[in-house]
Amino acid sequence: MRRGWRPIVAGGVVVVATFVLAQAQVFAPEAPSGGPVRGDVKRGAAIFASTCAGCHGEGGVGGSPGPRLVGSGLDAAEVAAVVEQGRGVMPPGLVSGAERDDVAAYVASIAAP
Amino acid sequence: MPLADVNETYTDLVTTVFSTTIAAKAWLATAALALVVVQVTTAARIYGRLGFLPERGAAVATVHRWSGRLAFLCTLPVFFHCVTILGWQTPNARVAAHAVLGTFVYGVFVAKVLVVRDRSLPGWALPAAGVTLASTLGLLWATSALWYFVNVRFGF
Repeated sequence: MRRGWRPIVAGGVVVVATFVLAQAQVFAPEAPSGGPVRGDVKRGAAIFASTCAGCHGEGGVGGSPGPRLVGSGLDAAEVAAVVEQGRGVMPPGLVSGAERDDVAAYVASIAAP
Repeated sequence: MPLADVNETYTDLVTTVFSTTIAAKAWLATAALALVVVQVTTAARIYGRLGFLPERGAAVATVHRWSGRLAFLCTLPVFFHCVTILGWQTPNARVAAHAVLGTFVYGVFVAKVLVVRDRSLPGWALPAAGVTLASTLGLLWATSALWYFVNVRFGF
């Protein structure tokens, strides 16, 4: 192989390796599957205000592009799954771990019809 | 450590400084982009452009090298979270573009580093590799951190 091709070949190997790693998602947490999600509503409200209200409106009353969450009937597990996996223009993993559970608990508390 | 705990540990670590994981990633990417601007500026000076900057020489080369190293370090936690936790996602054009660019960025980085070390290549190869890498990082930032600051929240 001519020496000049080395950077392109090596870069290509890294690109393929990155793609394989991204497909594997080796450290991705399992999405909640309807099981109980225990979060703190008060902490969730604070996280919602700083992270979600920009799209969903203050208190989840609806905004752009986020739909109204108040009275939507979503339960905490459904909210956690959407936060984990993303939906539409909402990217996956905006919050994760305990933060995700707190937000899910808060949204479930305002979503009750 | 169970694999699922990696996500929790990552979140715990970054939220000691930032409000959320995505805020941490947005600011780290912004720091990397700022350092990339330093990279491009000092590279231009090394090539004899931007005459208003101090004389080209050892200092400019040192700043160029260290800004590159720091930019690379800033991207590591972002890359780790995006690739190993979020993975390949294409729900819309923005995220799809971000996924494609993110898949290429370290490949372009490796190619650029090898081009730096290979003196047998033509003179245009290094500027071309550098501009490609800087453009890739700029577009990655625009499809993630910029989107976050504009559409979600501008804050730590």
